[in-house]
Amino acid sequence: MTPNEQPNNVLLTRVSNVALIIAGVALVGVAFVEGWQVFARYVLNDSPSWTEPVALLLMSTTMMCGAAVGVRSHRHFGFFVLVETAKPGLRNVLVLIVQTIIALVGLLFFIAGFSLVAESWDFRMAGAPLPQGIVYVPICFGGALITLFSIERLLWARSTQKNQTES
Amino acid sequence: MGATILFTTLAVLLLLGIPVGFALVSASLATLLYLGLPPIVVVQQTTAGASAASLVAIPLFIFAGELMMRGGISERLISFASSLVGHLRGGLGQVSVLSSLLFGGVSGSAIADVSAIGGTMIPQMVKRGFDRDFAVNVSMTAALVALLVPPSHNLILYSASAGGSISIAQLFAAGIVPALLMTAALLFVTWFIARRRGYAVEVFPGWLEVLKRMVAAAPGLLLVALIFFGIRAGIFTAVESASIAVAYAVLVTTLVYRKLTWDSFLETCVGAVRTTGLILFVIGAAASFGWLLAYLEIPAAAVQALTGISDNKNVMLGLMVLVLLTIGIFLDLAPLIIICTPIFLPVAKALGVDPVHFGIILILKGGIGLITPPVGSVLFVGTAIGNIRVSDALKTIWPFYLAAITVLFMVVYIPQLSLWLPSLLK
Repeated sequence: MTPNEQPNNVLLTRVSNVALIIAGVALVGVAFVEGWQVFARYVLNDSPSWTEPVALLLMSTTMMCGAAVGVRSHRHFGFFVLVETAKPGLRNVLVLIVQTIIALVGLLFFIAGFSLVAESWDFRMAGAPLPQGIVYVPICFGGALITLFSIERLLWARSTQKNQTES
Repeated sequence: MGATILFTTLAVLLLLGIPVGFALVSASLATLLYLGLPPIVVVQQTTAGASAASLVAIPLFIFAGELMMRGGISERLISFASSLVGHLRGGLGQVSVLSSLLFGGVSGSAIADVSAIGGTMIPQMVKRGFDRDFAVNVSMTAALVALLVPPSHNLILYSASAGGSISIAQLFAAGIVPALLMTAALLFVTWFIARRRGYAVEVFPGWLEVLKRMVAAAPGLLLVALIFFGIRAGIFTAVESASIAVAYAVLVTTLVYRKLTWDSFLETCVGAVRTTGLILFVIGAAASFGWLLAYLEIPAAAVQALTGISDNKNVMLGLMVLVLLTIGIFLDLAPLIIICTPIFLPVAKALGVDPVHFGIILILKGGIGLITPPVGSVLFVGTAIGNIRVSDALKTIWPFYLAAITVLFMVVYIPQLSLWLPSLLK
């Protein structure tokens, strides 16, 4: 196994693809919302207040889904020299530590995000007719995906190592 | 003690191979727990950090850059550059440098630049008898230029990391002269090496052909002018200009160049989403780290500690550049900007360095980190495209490093290089 290889669980590959689609739609959505802002401001002479909070919500969706997919494909920025040059035994320990910490961070985002959604759902967002709690939905959803993908990567790394030992 | 926990945890986690964003969150969490503060603060600060209105420009510029890269603009810019400098000694090497300057004005990203220009130019150079190491090294170093040319999303990131108080228009203007200086330095190094190695030159196609190719490349070049002068004149904000850039890129690549198909549009979206997710996650994660820096009054302590070493501005600037160069060897550019700006910008201000000038220094210095091991994303992309081992590329990259570092120190010690154009356009 090299760090850049990717797990191939069929179900989670589909989940990852769905996350990519959501992130892509959100990104195109940001472009549309900001485009509408420009059109409304310069052509209609009426700058809408909802564009900024909606664009930020969509950007947050792109961020968390893109970050979760990045966990699965191991594309995040980092300093991986120690992991890449370590002997197999030490490398396995490092992979275990790395993926456990990522999973725990994802879990924190999921639990805290859920709590923030529940706490602020009844309040109205400034500038847009949406509940304030929706701001934290991408954090909660992305946190769950990050946990899921890091556990998958951990299990995949262990099974790859087991296969290599047996062969 | 809080500061010690924050920095030690971060350093240990990074060394263990925890990705930067997750290491930042974990280090912040450990410090919060030590301070007896609720862990939910990390999530609140991460959300708030990734919700700054000015940051919306970043995913949109990345998206526009991807559209331009896959939609035919890079080929036309290379063709135009080839007609201008292909007949100089080093031929295609010179074309690679000039194309990077032109394409940097469209993408604003070093990775996009080395992928688009290097992906086209490296195979062509090898085919024409250029050594593989030279072809890779010239393309990788040329990609640094893209970081300084508007609409560099790294400059927007710097502005956001500084609390949004630094004008993006000023930063865009400030990067232009250093970018031209870097281009000139790289053109010279390319010429020098090409002369020693006896590389071929291209035939000059004539001024009529130059004009034709310029017209073909004009829609791409026009985008740079549109963004730069639009923001500069205060007609639209950086975010609005980014949305205009996306719309313009879609129109040019579908209606004018007719190269963007539905499939390539989907590929573009995926590419942009992957990059955006990684960058924005680090930005959000760094917000909780930055909140703790402020809570623990670390920037003020850094100012006191560093200005206590010497009161000579030039000595301190040199020292800061060396420290930042060292950090840049281990960190990618985006995390470097986000982590180092809140710590080093107050020190720079205390020394009387203009924040716009410091921003250009930071980006240029961080850019050099992109072509140095062990963490150099441009180095890895460039060597992968050139199908060459990193160690083989590094054996002959020294003249290019020397040129980049010389330009860096010129930019550090001659503030006018960065500040002249912004003052002229005020």
